[in-house]
Amino acid sequence: MAELDRLIHEPARLRILTILAGVEAVDFNFLLNTLGLTKGNLSSHMDRLEKAGYVKVEKSFNGRIPHTEFQITPEGREALESYWRQLDSIRNLNTKTEGKG
Amino acid sequence: MTNKRESQPADPREIIQWTRRYAQSRTIYFLVQWCLIVFIICVIGLVASLTQQAYTAGNMSLFYTSVVFLAMTFFFFVWISVSHWTAEFVWQVTIWFYGREGFVSPEENNRSKQLPRWVIALIGLMLVYHVLGALLISFRYLQLQYLQPFSAVILVPVLCVLIYYQGLGFWAWLWPLFYGLHAILLLAGVPVGFPSPWYLLNIMVPIFGYGLLAILVGHIYSRYALWKLKTVTRQGLDIYSNDNDEEDVQ
Repeated sequence: MAELDRLIHEPARLRILTILAGVEAVDFNFLLNTLGLTKGNLSSHMDRLEKAGYVKVEKSFNGRIPHTEFQITPEGREALESYWRQLDSIRNLNTKTEGKG
Repeated sequence: MTNKRESQPADPREIIQWTRRYAQSRTIYFLVQWCLIVFIICVIGLVASLTQQAYTAGNMSLFYTSVVFLAMTFFFFVWISVSHWTAEFVWQVTIWFYGREGFVSPEENNRSKQLPRWVIALIGLMLVYHVLGALLISFRYLQLQYLQPFSAVILVPVLCVLIYYQGLGFWAWLWPLFYGLHAILLLAGVPVGFPSPWYLLNIMVPIFGYGLLAILVGHIYSRYALWKLKTVTRQGLDIYSNDNDEEDVQ
């Protein structure tokens, strides 16, 4: 069985990608408010996801206030779906093993 | 496997579902547009009333002035409906209101980015239709108590199209639904109307009332959806929230 994607397996990043999979785009404040992470922690997770090509970042200014928007990329969506498929198969395997035991 | 797997949400579809529901129920964008529509109808109603009074009183100079004003308001509202300024204004109000919650765009297919030309044309047609209605009332070809069903013929489909293209949530559909039902009940003779001299309320109350009802229901639902989203998202996350994460998957 292929190894789970470690980048996505991290709980906060998994939730970030799952949120992004449900909508077109969100901004930094939305993720901060929804996940309850610290700014630094969220920034670090978003950097990793961006470097992996799973998230597209768009920076702009709303007047003088910086505004950062995130979108899941097709690669990110594919990686997330693949992650859930793998996790489901592990869960099914566990259920079967427990059933036999 | 470490206990990281235990902290994963049991069903990711719940997070996706509540994110979408929350995003689609943020009705402030709808509220601003609602205000613009109500404003259009109020001004047209006032000008039409002025035109009627001038015509009845035989004051032709006031009558022609009010007809010119009616034409001006019509062009002003066409401009409001299609201008980028309106879109920017609605957008800025929405951002201001939801500032603390952050920005979320519900649609994945860019439906909300730009309205098709036929929808813009339909909005223009709706305005012409309401001006025509106002003129028909002014010249007594249409009774004021039937303005609401007359208006519903075009307002219901226009609202449905707008709600669809802007990707608004289920609750936004309450407005055209109730507005249409009200028109049917009124035509069927059910006493849901206001008697003379309050006929004008027959159009104002359904527009203000049902629109506001839909917006409030949507807003309340968005609060619930946000609470649910936070709950399902944060479940099991707190123990990892400030970790640096590279633990083995195994």
